[in-house]
Order: sequence, then structure tokens, then C-alpha cells
Amino acid sequence: MVQQEEYTIKLPTFEGPFDLLFHLIKKAEVDIWSISIADITEQYLAYLQSMKELNLDIASEFLVMAATLLRLKSKLLLPRAPRSEEMEEEEELFEINTAEELFQRLEEYRLFKEVAHYLQQKEEDQKKVFLRSTGGQKVMVFTQQESVYTIWEGAHHLSDIMQRFARVALAGEYMPAFSAVEDFVISQKADYIQSVLNQKKRAMPMKAFVTKTGLWDIIVVFIALLEMSRQGKVNLLQEKPFGAILVSLKPESEMVEKEGESGERTTKKDY
Amino acid sequence: MEKEQQKKTIEALLFLSEEPVKPDKLAVVLSAAPEEAEAMVRELQEDLFSAGRGLQVFETAGGYQMGTLPELAPYLEKAFSEDISSNLSNAALEALAIIAYKQPVTRIEIESIRGVRSKHVLENLVKRKLIKISGRKDGPGRPILYGTTADFLKYFGLKDLGDLPQLEVEEEETKTVQHDEADDNSAQA
Repeated sequence: MVQQEEYTIKLPTFEGPFDLLFHLIKKAEVDIWSISIADITEQYLAYLQSMKELNLDIASEFLVMAATLLRLKSKLLLPRAPRSEEMEEEEELFEINTAEELFQRLEEYRLFKEVAHYLQQKEEDQKKVFLRSTGGQKVMVFTQQESVYTIWEGAHHLSDIMQRFARVALAGEYMPAFSAVEDFVISQKADYIQSVLNQKKRAMPMKAFVTKTGLWDIIVVFIALLEMSRQGKVNLLQEKPFGAILVSLKPESEMVEKEGESGERTTKKDY
Repeated sequence: MEKEQQKKTIEALLFLSEEPVKPDKLAVVLSAAPEEAEAMVRELQEDLFSAGRGLQVFETAGGYQMGTLPELAPYLEKAFSEDISSNLSNAALEALAIIAYKQPVTRIEIESIRGVRSKHVLENLVKRKLIKISGRKDGPGRPILYGTTADFLKYFGLKDLGDLPQLEVEEEETKTVQHDEADDNSAQA
């Protein structure tokens, strides 16, 4: 094989599939509303092909658009399919089912692209105007900062949790988490949980596995359970937020038997 | 306060201020009506222009600010180090354009118009304080809504959002219909 020469080619970069399509349309000097799906599909694919030949990464969005274009093209060629035909779930980015929809989306994109150019121009203009900067020595007495508040919906939950925790901690029910530096090992705890469950042969509440007082042990039990659940060893059931957590062993046989049934459980095994 | 005195005061005030000064603030300082203050600003603008000065007063983000003339930029750049903040990327400008017109708007809506994932672009714009999280949309997932900030107006030297060009929508009403459908779909999901 001939050794590849190194060379650089400058390709225009596109912000996305719409940008590329728009570029192709402009090159063809046609109006958005009068493009031929077949032509544009061909050009689009040719461009992707050249990107591939240049070993450029092609972002997935470009490929999804290629698929969308091909489908639109095939729809135009084939007799109308019955409406009842199920449409495969598509990425919401390209919910485009007809050529008109594609044109509309392109038109919308074009509008905002123009605004983006306008903003770029304004940015340039504004950069040429130098403003005073006193380094904040003079403070305007009446400058009212329009603060930007970030709304985090969970905030009141967090304070609620913290208050509850403070109450419990103050009542002395929990030892501080890190007072005793004990060397708990998650896997040891997991073994313990497994042995208890094997013995009892029924679902147990999570707190049954907490053997020591202190928050630390609860944390270890919880992490051990999460790990075991991930490994598919146990089922965890919690009926409501902050409710008790029930733990049961996942029988090996069950995993095989239940497969194929439309189950609540999803196992990752294939047939 | 005497009229000449008022004009001098405005000049001094705008000279000192690092931020745009709103008409009602000017009014407080001058003990005059906001409209009077604005009329005074316009006089000052003309004075500066006709006297051939290197400074100008311009309207931005709902207020007035003093700055240098754009034509002086090449010379001033020799004296002042270049602006550290680099220009915005095309992706950022696209996202800003969409947010400016469609706000409050979700990330998904922005991505659907751009046809590209835009998470990082939005994060950077929030960091640069050009956009802010303005709330959450009612509906599944309560997605974050984005809007532009006062810094956005300042950055581009816009008086307000009305200063942006009109979108020349060439096409029919189907666009809004399409949006409604999209909303319905997401509500059902």
C-alpha cells in the first residue's frame, strides 16, 4: 500500500446537519421550498462520504439526518403506506416525517442562523467600544444588582432532610458517622446479608441487617444492598419515598424461569 | 438644579459608571422626571457628537452608558491589552439567537431547532452569564427553562429585546400548529 501523504484540507465546519443542508441548498442556489429531496439527499450523502474518506469523525446527528433523508426519499418513491403503519420511535431531534416538515425545520433554522449572524455583527461592533472600568473603587449607591437566582426545586427537600437529621442527631439517637474509625468492608456486609437471607428464606426489612448503632453501619448496609442489587443478587422494594426498604433474595431459578414473561423485572440476559 | 448643571451631572455620572444607568436613576439624581432626564441625555449625546469628542453615550440594556467611539478601537487597542473574553462560537450564537426569541425555552426545544445536542453550549452561556435558568416547564421531567440576561443585552449593545431584528417569517401558520402537537406528544409521554 502506498504510504499516505500527510496533507491538510480545510473543510467548512458545520454546526449540525441543518447547517450542512442549508449550505448545500445555498450552493445549489435554490429556494428552501423548492429543493428536491432526491437531489439534496444525494449531495448530503456525498458530503458525509467525503468526510469519511478524510477520516473525520461524523457526529451521530449527521447520520440520523442521513437516515431521515433516505426515509423521506423512499416515501416519495413508494406508494403511500397505510396510515396505521407503526412509525419507529425516532430521536426527538429529528421528528421529521414529510418533506414539508423538513422544509419548515430548515426555514426555522435559517431564521435563527440569520439572527446569529446579526448577533455576531453586534458583538464585533460592541467590542470596539471601550468602557470605563474603575476597578470597583467607586461604588454606585443606587446600583441595584439584578441578581440571577437559580431555582433548584429540591432545595426545600434538602433543608427538610437536614432539619430532620439535626433533630435525630441532637436527640442522641445516632452516633456521629465518623466517630469510630471502623474498618467496615462492603463485601463483608454483603456476605452477612446474603447469609441472613439464606437462613430466613423470606423478605427482610433493611434495618434487620444493621448490627451496630451509628449512621456508619446503616450507610454500609445501604451501599452493600445497592451493590447486591446491581449484581442481581437481591430485589429491593420500597413502596413510597422514605419508606422502609424490603430486601429479598433473587432466586437463581427465578431469573431463568421468568425470562420472556412480560415482567416487572428486566434481566440483561439474552435467550 | 439648573439645566446646564444637570447636563454636566449626567456626563459626570455616566463617566463614572461602569454599568448602564437607567433613566429613573438619573431622574433621582437630577430630581427631575425620567423623561426630562432622557431628553437631557439626548442633548448630551448631540453635544459630544458635535464637539467631535472621543466619547459617546449609547443606550444599552435599558439604560445609558458612556464609551469610546468604535473608530478609535485600533488605536486604543495599542494602549489597552486585548479583551480576554474571546468571541462567541457559532454554536453559542445560534443558541443565543434561539433563546432570545423563544424564551423561556427548554434545551430540547433549542436542540430540535439546531438539530444538534447543545448541553455544553448552554452550560458555557450560563457560565458567561449571557443566559440564565428562568424556571422550569410544567410537564414531564419539569425541564429547565432558559432566558437571556441583562448581560446579554449589554454584551451585544442592545437596548432591550425589542431591539432584535424581526424574524421574517415567510411561511404559514403550520409552524405553531406543529409546536402544539409536539407539546401534546410530550404531555402524553
